[in-house]
Amino acid sequence: MGLLSILIFLPLIALALILALPNTAKSSYKYIALGFTVLQLGIALYIYQNFQGAQAGVNILSDFQFLEQASWIRLDLGAIGKLEIDYLIGLDGISLPLIVLSALVMLMGVGASWNIDKSPKGYFALLMLLNTAVMGIFCALDFFLFYVFYEVMLFPLYFLIGIWGGVRREYAAIKFFLYTLLGSVFMLLVIVGLYFSVTNPETGAHTFNMLHMMNPSNYVDGSFFSFIANYHEVLGIPARLIGFIILFFAFAIKVPIVPLHTWLPDAHVEAPTPVSIILAGILLKIGGYGIIRVCYSIFPDMAALTNWWLALIGIISILYGALNALAQKDLKRMIAYSSVSHMGFVLLGIASLTAEGISGAMFQMISHGFLSAALFFLVGVIYDRVHDRYIYNFRGLAGIMPKYTACVAIVFFASLGLPGFSAFIGEAFVIIGTFNAQSMTTGIPRWMAIAGSAGIFLSAAYFLWTLQRMFFGQTRLQGGTAWASALTDLNRRELLILVPTISLALILGIVPSLVFGKLNASILKLIDIINPYI
Amino acid sequence: MNELLPISPINASVLIALLPFLAFLIQAVLGKTQTSGNISLVAIILSTTLSLFWVFPAVWNHDQQTLKLVWFVIGEYDLNVGVLLNNLTVLMQLIVCIIALPVHIYSKAYMKADPGLHRYWMFLSLFCFAMLSLTISINLFQSYIFWELVGFASYLLIGYWFTKDSAVQANKKAFLVNRIGDIGFLIGIALIYSHVGTLDLTMLFGPSGVFNPSSLEHGQSLVIDTDASWRTWAGICFFLGAMAKSAQFPLHIWLPDAMEGPTSVSSLIHAATMVAAGVFLLCTIFPLFNATVLLLIAIIGTLTAISGAIFALGQQDIKKILAFSTISQLGFMMVGVGIGAWDSAMFHLGTHAFFKCLLFLCAGAVIHEMAHLKKHRNLEFDPQNLRNMGGLRKYMPKTFLCMSIASLALAGFPLTAGYLSKDSIVVGAFEWGAYHGGWHMIIPITLIIVSILTAFYIGRLIWKAFFGNFRFADLLNTDHTMREAPVLMLAPMIFLALCCFAPAFSLQPLDYHASWLMQGLHVQTAYPAIPSAHLYIPVILSIGAIVSWFIGWKWYTQREYPFSTGNKLVQLANNQFYLNEFNEVIFVNSIKRLSGFLYFVDRKVVDGLTYLFTNLIQSIARAVNWLDKNVIDGLVNMVANSTYYLGHLVRHVQNGQLQGYLGFALTVLILGFLYLIIK
Repeated sequence: MGLLSILIFLPLIALALILALPNTAKSSYKYIALGFTVLQLGIALYIYQNFQGAQAGVNILSDFQFLEQASWIRLDLGAIGKLEIDYLIGLDGISLPLIVLSALVMLMGVGASWNIDKSPKGYFALLMLLNTAVMGIFCALDFFLFYVFYEVMLFPLYFLIGIWGGVRREYAAIKFFLYTLLGSVFMLLVIVGLYFSVTNPETGAHTFNMLHMMNPSNYVDGSFFSFIANYHEVLGIPARLIGFIILFFAFAIKVPIVPLHTWLPDAHVEAPTPVSIILAGILLKIGGYGIIRVCYSIFPDMAALTNWWLALIGIISILYGALNALAQKDLKRMIAYSSVSHMGFVLLGIASLTAEGISGAMFQMISHGFLSAALFFLVGVIYDRVHDRYIYNFRGLAGIMPKYTACVAIVFFASLGLPGFSAFIGEAFVIIGTFNAQSMTTGIPRWMAIAGSAGIFLSAAYFLWTLQRMFFGQTRLQGGTAWASALTDLNRRELLILVPTISLALILGIVPSLVFGKLNASILKLIDIINPYI
Repeated sequence: MNELLPISPINASVLIALLPFLAFLIQAVLGKTQTSGNISLVAIILSTTLSLFWVFPAVWNHDQQTLKLVWFVIGEYDLNVGVLLNNLTVLMQLIVCIIALPVHIYSKAYMKADPGLHRYWMFLSLFCFAMLSLTISINLFQSYIFWELVGFASYLLIGYWFTKDSAVQANKKAFLVNRIGDIGFLIGIALIYSHVGTLDLTMLFGPSGVFNPSSLEHGQSLVIDTDASWRTWAGICFFLGAMAKSAQFPLHIWLPDAMEGPTSVSSLIHAATMVAAGVFLLCTIFPLFNATVLLLIAIIGTLTAISGAIFALGQQDIKKILAFSTISQLGFMMVGVGIGAWDSAMFHLGTHAFFKCLLFLCAGAVIHEMAHLKKHRNLEFDPQNLRNMGGLRKYMPKTFLCMSIASLALAGFPLTAGYLSKDSIVVGAFEWGAYHGGWHMIIPITLIIVSILTAFYIGRLIWKAFFGNFRFADLLNTDHTMREAPVLMLAPMIFLALCCFAPAFSLQPLDYHASWLMQGLHVQTAYPAIPSAHLYIPVILSIGAIVSWFIGWKWYTQREYPFSTGNKLVQLANNQFYLNEFNEVIFVNSIKRLSGFLYFVDRKVVDGLTYLFTNLIQSIARAVNWLDKNVIDGLVNMVANSTYYLGHLVRHVQNGQLQGYLGFALTVLILGFLYLIIK
């Protein structure tokens, strides 16, 4: 059993432990969860340390690192052939940063769950299951395996929101669940279509191996998704385009793009703080990761064809999300919309099809991963204390919570792209890359870069406005003296979670090569794959 | 010196920038326990010493020195950071140090006993770090980083008194307006990156840079076409960045509001150094600009100069007058860049830094005493309002003297440093206008008018604050009187006052060409010199200044003021032509309305579609359910019911009565017979 398998299935051991221990030992659950996530982070960091940045991966199996391959399901289906599903996991430059990010955000999530007292057994068990699922998604290289993890992820999230959430938790949970399911059900159709179009060159059997799907020569001539000379059409639309759109639709819901984003504010507002952290920190990244790993790598021809539209969607998400954030009066909802806006940069960068743009998008995903986690954690701090987060109910918090205000100010400025913090590198290179697209003739006009940069301005507007309304001025609270005494400054545990996160944002902002060093080769490879079709 | 200091100028210049950063870190760690500011002070003293005695002499009028390190690789592009030392950058670094040092000393007395003092020193050191790093950046991306960081430090310092509503409104406004410029800067960077493929200043604008027209001689093969439209756009983008930072019309609106910060901060950041960063940037990337952009810069500069001067005329707040004066003077510098004489722009930047910083420090001393009086006597008045002052020269003679010197320099009076630098721009503009002819002459003529207006408004300030009678004179007694500023404040003021005189910049106090600064930066302009202009323009300006002071003296001290209090024009100038209100209505409110509308759309239309979809599915489900219950299940039930009914009918036969069974059997028998008979 390789290191990656340990990384993926370690939380399952924690889950078994938690389920096995009787309810009388319930105070130990969180320590078990904490211990295992710390261990997991340690393994992730070890993997990071030993990862060779020069190996590109993407579509060459031997270039993947920490690779594990085992045949999982073999079934003779008679006339249709042999069913071949592998347990195939491995890392390249695109998945590695996300693995480390996930381990980190999971740890933050566990830390934020410290005061959960509503049936902790179920809560921590579900959290661990979720952990396994997301790790699996980022490692899986077999499409069937990927899909299994993808579906497994939905199940714990549904219950985590639906049971431990706020007032309208059932509504939010079912909305989230159905939205994602809608995308993934269609995805399954494309997976099956791809399965019958691709054969394993070694065995001649159909395969779910994603890397085989990336190689045009593995496609069966005349098959539904066949690469060259494909005459299949559905309603006059080429089959490969349909496949691409459906897969994009599935992942776009996760990103989320406008107009498929409305599950996000509801889910965030109703979800408990740790779930918000994981939702924003990891799950949105599955969308961006899926677009790069699946949509772009398997359908490079369609990626080149559609990137104008994808960039347009990115722009709309940036501006629409930012303007909506400006209109919010609920702090958590504002941050939820700011996520929509910031993830728009990811889509814009990916669609630019330039090395700078895609690297910037990846960097933005990492940066947004822990910055949004920190933001939701910070909202959780005041919500924990007074069970309110309506912006106008607070004023002059700086006077009574100086440490908290300092943290909020730093995270706000980091999120709005202050140089020195990670978000700046991400956004700046998405804009520069998008701008460069015209010189690279990838078909993205320059006005899109300019429109995207307007989003940078708007993000400063909503963050600073919030800072001014809630934190500065004379102290005045809706709840009067009761609130004033309840609103104590950050405690040790909270600082212990926030300070490393902020430091990380700072470190990545100052030493971006920590990510780019592992990323560059894979991004250049990806561009190589797509370039012939531009 | 080489033997004394075994570090290279490059390392020393990095050290100059890093020392304040170190002070920032130490101050941040110590927090409230350290409020004396000594850490920041020591850092800036060391920086200034290094800059003045080591880096500047080692680089000034020598070859440029560079240091480049790979910061990170993105895709296939190596992003370099490093240090660029040439005449321009070491000069700017020196100016920042030499202004920052007196301000640090002054702050020790001025900010004494303020409850948040540890933050003040922290932010001040952060600013110095960012500003000093900005000056020596070698890469445009690196410049952009520090460019934003100085804006961030300025945000923190404007909002230093964060419980004051006006202060937090002001810092938000400052940051947002600067963000507009930053976006311009970023797009400019993207344009250059995309067309040239490098952001290195030496490779772009250096002697053999691609933008340098003379670089062909240096063996550079790729020279960018001057008239390429992207080059014009890039120039405009960078200028937009400079416009926001250097408060050019119409993006100047943040600077007057920024006066909400402590006065010492206003003097350092919002008068002498940070706001000049825009001018500095334009000088750094000067070869980029083609004729179109330069003309635009000159026009905007002129507009700023005149509008700033007009607004300054209508202000009552002593700091606001100085703020508008800063805006107006920055306009002069922009004109200097626009006419191609960026050496003049830098010269004016240098002299302006001294006298404007001094003006603010003097104003601070006055405000300090006024606020003290207000607190001591429990009065309610605005300590910054000129109407509450008057006759202060009797109480604060040294402050009065310093402020008068600075005012003379601002007005460009002979023998002051301001005279030299302002003349260099006005005369240069005149030569430029004469060379191009026609309407180009409007620019030098406007500048001459603005210079006279400048003399008038600063004269007005002096007359109103220091002459006439003090409004609260009867409240003063031996127990409490208006006193001269303490020595910690006076000493920096006197130092700056000495630097306001011409000998600090030129031993020949009447000819700006002789100044060491102009000779060091010397720029060859396209238009010919007009020797006679060097004579009559200074004469016109000096006579104009004297006349304006005489009028001011008549109006403000002899009480012969010709306008009524509610005069429309004065009101208009006081309210900056209602520019803020215009922005509020046109931009701020429309964005707010748009965002409100989009949120409505989001809830009702986008999420509404989700609801519609949900309802549709639910309706279909209900319809199917109805169908299932009534039609499909109906069929099943019909079969069941009819069977039941049939059974019900025949059930009566099975009634358990013998005669019934016999009768039934008989009937069947008879029916059988009947069948046989009929057959």
